[in-house]
This record gives sequence, structure tokens and C-alpha cells, in this order.
Amino acid sequence: MSDNDSQQSEPATDGSGPGIVAPDDEVPSWRERKERTTGLSRLTYEYFERARREDQDLRQESSYVERDVLGFPAWPHETIRNLAISSFFIGMLLFLAATMPPTLEDAANPAVTPEIILPDWYLYWSFGLLKLGPINPELSILGGDKIMSDELYGVLANAVVFGAIAIVPFLNKGSARRPVEQPFWAAIGVGGVMFAFTTSVVAVQNLAPIDPNITFDLAFLLPLVAATITYAVLKTMREGYMYDLNRRYYRLRPPR
Amino acid sequence: MANDDNYPVESDRRRFVKGVVGGSVLSGLLTTGAAGVTLSTKPSGGGGGAMDYFGAVRELGPAPRGLPQIPIEIDDEGYLQGLWPEPETVEEGGVEYQVSRTEIDIGGGESVTYSTEWFQYCGLQTFEGIRPDAEGQDEYLRYDDPLPTADYPWLEEVTAGNQMHVDDFENYEDWGNNVGDAGVGQPAAGTWRSQDVSPESKIPILVIRSTRIEEMAQDDEWIAQTCPEGFIAFVNKCTHFCCVPGYKKLSEASNYNAENKIYCNCHQSVYDPFDIAQQQLISLPRPEGDE
Repeated sequence: MSDNDSQQSEPATDGSGPGIVAPDDEVPSWRERKERTTGLSRLTYEYFERARREDQDLRQESSYVERDVLGFPAWPHETIRNLAISSFFIGMLLFLAATMPPTLEDAANPAVTPEIILPDWYLYWSFGLLKLGPINPELSILGGDKIMSDELYGVLANAVVFGAIAIVPFLNKGSARRPVEQPFWAAIGVGGVMFAFTTSVVAVQNLAPIDPNITFDLAFLLPLVAATITYAVLKTMREGYMYDLNRRYYRLRPPR
Repeated sequence: MANDDNYPVESDRRRFVKGVVGGSVLSGLLTTGAAGVTLSTKPSGGGGGAMDYFGAVRELGPAPRGLPQIPIEIDDEGYLQGLWPEPETVEEGGVEYQVSRTEIDIGGGESVTYSTEWFQYCGLQTFEGIRPDAEGQDEYLRYDDPLPTADYPWLEEVTAGNQMHVDDFENYEDWGNNVGDAGVGQPAAGTWRSQDVSPESKIPILVIRSTRIEEMAQDDEWIAQTCPEGFIAFVNKCTHFCCVPGYKKLSEASNYNAENKIYCNCHQSVYDPFDIAQQQLISLPRPEGDE
């Protein structure tokens, strides 16, 4: 008997044996589950809907009387809260202003070029794109001339990057919220981030302790490598993730 | 009913009004546009235009053209001068302006027109010293003040702001610092026609004395005429975005095979000071009211 008890105390998730949680009318049958093709988004929706309904039931059973009040009164509640928040930020401003030295220095002298002259770090990627001159093609039809100047080429490269970022939401309208759900698009994202990093290194190529030609080649190779690795890893993780998700789901609501 | 909608009836009077209003709007637009084009294309001052110049050839990087060369003369006492011909007044398109230009004979019956308009780019055209008849400016090349002794330790022997002298460069045959090879050339950073002006409107120059220039002078008449005793001088303003490049200044230049060349660290432009060729530039006009 004791053997039997211990078996029953653990819910069977493989569909065999009697489940501990009694299935009700809401629980889908195996057939219904098979017919479901929308996948994770549908599943999430069901979870949320169920939670909402439970909340609603709880509210209806409760003896708490809701008053017809839309918010807190401006005085004193809101005023005191707002004063506290603004005092905090004003205090932070004063504190920072007092602790940090003034940063205004002499005007730049165009007759002297500093040893390290670079834009702010968060613009390195864009600065790196301006240095794409080596891949500006020389067309034989123009007698070996470039169709556009290296400067224009670099600016257009920026436009291409912005365009690519803008177009991604139109290409992938999926509802995935985790990289593992769509390994391909996750790989594209990782490749993009890697490209931003490598073009940043191209921007500071003259200071980096690597040969500029190697830096330049790596700028295009590394994103591809990173994207490939990401794709492979996520594809592998997918199996385990799906298994985990299914296990949780069936533990909660075992099939009939 | 022909007039069911709320629009007025089409009539001769209405057509007339439409014509008058449309015509005046159109002519107004045309006049404004023409005035705008005239205003924006009107030359703002004298001088400038497309011209040929001699300079260090651009080897690498985004710079559009080479660094312009300053012809050098050495006076009786051995001080270096940049050639600044006697200013003359010319009239062009109803505008009178001053130019400093001269013909330099390069043999074979050919000559080169040297004009100080070569240096009217990158805002230099607004500098006091670039005006042909600038008050109180002479042709002498002077050392920087303060001296860049960190880059060129030999400059510790000279006085900041002094005129450059031939004897200061006596070690040029084997001079070297920690950048590039020794014996390529002895450099000095300085200013030209920039006495008693604010630091940001000093004309930066680069002077190199090198055996290579002496060798080049043997077969190149232009070099022979403008680079006496192995001296060569450039206006040290990058033709790309007007930074001040350096010769044998930064060790990072070796990444671009520029350790013995002029290297601009802003966008990695490289100029070869030992490859002088005729190039073309669009010289900018000096602003009005200068003359």
C-alpha cells in the first residue's frame, strides 16, 4: 500500500495513471491540444485568462465594499508624495553639482590636434561605419573609379543600418518574447550587437593594438560567427525549453 | 440645379480673380527664389577659385588632396623665409582684391604660378596672416610657442617663437626620435605670418630638412627652386577636416606605414612629404572687408 501511496502523491505528467488534480471541463483533451497550432502565445493567453478569472471570483466572494473613488486627493496625499520626489531629485542635482568639479574648459584651439581625438563612445559604431572606404567598390565600368566618395559611402552605411533596424519589426511579426522561441531572429540580433561592437573597434583602429586590416576583416567575420553560434546554441536549448514548458503545463492541468 | 454644392459658380469675374492671384503668387515665388540663388552664389570676397598647386601627395585616408607646400627662401643670415610675393591689386568681375603671386621658373621654358591663394582653405582664408598685405607680418618661419619638445626633443636647443635658422637643423642627416627611422628628416613645428595673433588664428607649418629632399632637388627643378639646402615646408592643415597632422609624432602612424610620413590621427590621412606633385584645389575667397 505504501508503494501505491507514494506513486499517487506525485502527479503523473506523462498522461498515464490517474492525475491528482481532477480535470474539469476547461481542460483540453489530447485532440484539442493537437489541434492547437498557435503555440506559446495561446498558452500564455490561457494562463492569464485563468488568473484573471480567479481574481474576479475572489473579488466577488469578498465582503470588501469598493468605494466609488477614482484616485487619491491632491491634498495632502499627492502633494506630499510629489514634494518628496522632487526634493529627492533636486537634492541629487545639488549633491552632484557640489561634489563634481566644473567641467567647462578653455575653448578648443584648432591650431592643435589632441593625440586622441574621438567622438563619444556611444557613437563609435557610427564613426566606424564612416571608415568603410576599403569596401567601397571600384567599378571597372567606370574605369576603376568609385561610384561614390568614401564619405558618402560611409554615410549611406549608416542609413543602411538604420533601415535594417527599422525593417526588422515588419519582417518578424512573431509574438516571441524569449530568444529560445525564435533562434533565427535571436541570432540576427546577436549578430547586430556584435557588429555594433566590431565597428566600434574599427573606429578606434589606430589606437587598438591590432593591425588595422585584421580589425577590418574581423569587423565582418565576428558578427557572422557570433550569429552562427547563437543559432546553434538556441536551437539546442529549444528542445529542453519545450520539454520544461510542457512539463509545467501538464503538471498544472494533466490531460484527461 | 447646377449650384447644388457649396462652391461659387464659375464665372468670368472669378476666373479673372484666380488668374491675378495665381500670377502674383507665382511671380512672388520666382522673385524670391532668384534673389535667394543670387544671394547664396554671390562671391563673398576677392581671390580664390580653381588653381594648381604643389604639395605633398596624399597616400591614404579620406583627405581629398595633398598638403600644400610653402616655397622656402633663405636670407643672407641663414634664416628661413616662406615665399610671400609683393602684393598686387587685381580686378575681377568688378571686385578689386589683393593677390600675392609670382611665376617660378622650373626650366625647359615652363613656369609655375605660385600664389598664396594656395593656402586659402580650411578657414585659413579668414586668418590675418593670409591677407597679402597683412600689417606687421613678415615671411620668416618661426618656431612654435610653446615648443613641442615631447615630440621633437631637439627643439629644446632653440628658443620658442624664434625665427628658424639653417644652423638649428645641422643634425638632419642622422636625426631620429622614437617614431620611425632615423636619418629620414629633421622636423620642426612652427608658425608663419602669425605674430601677435590669437593662438587659434596662427598658421601652423611643418618644416623638414632631409637628405631625401636634397636628392629630389637634383632632378626636379621645382624642388630645386623651392627647397634650398634640403628644407621643405608645408602648411600643416589636413585638407580633410582641418586638423593639424604630425610628422614622426605618433607611433600609431606605423599601423598605416606612415611612421616616416605626415600622419593625421583624426581620420588616418597620410601625406608623403617626399613625394611632391602638382595638384588642384578650389581656393576659398577671403571674406569681404579684409582688403
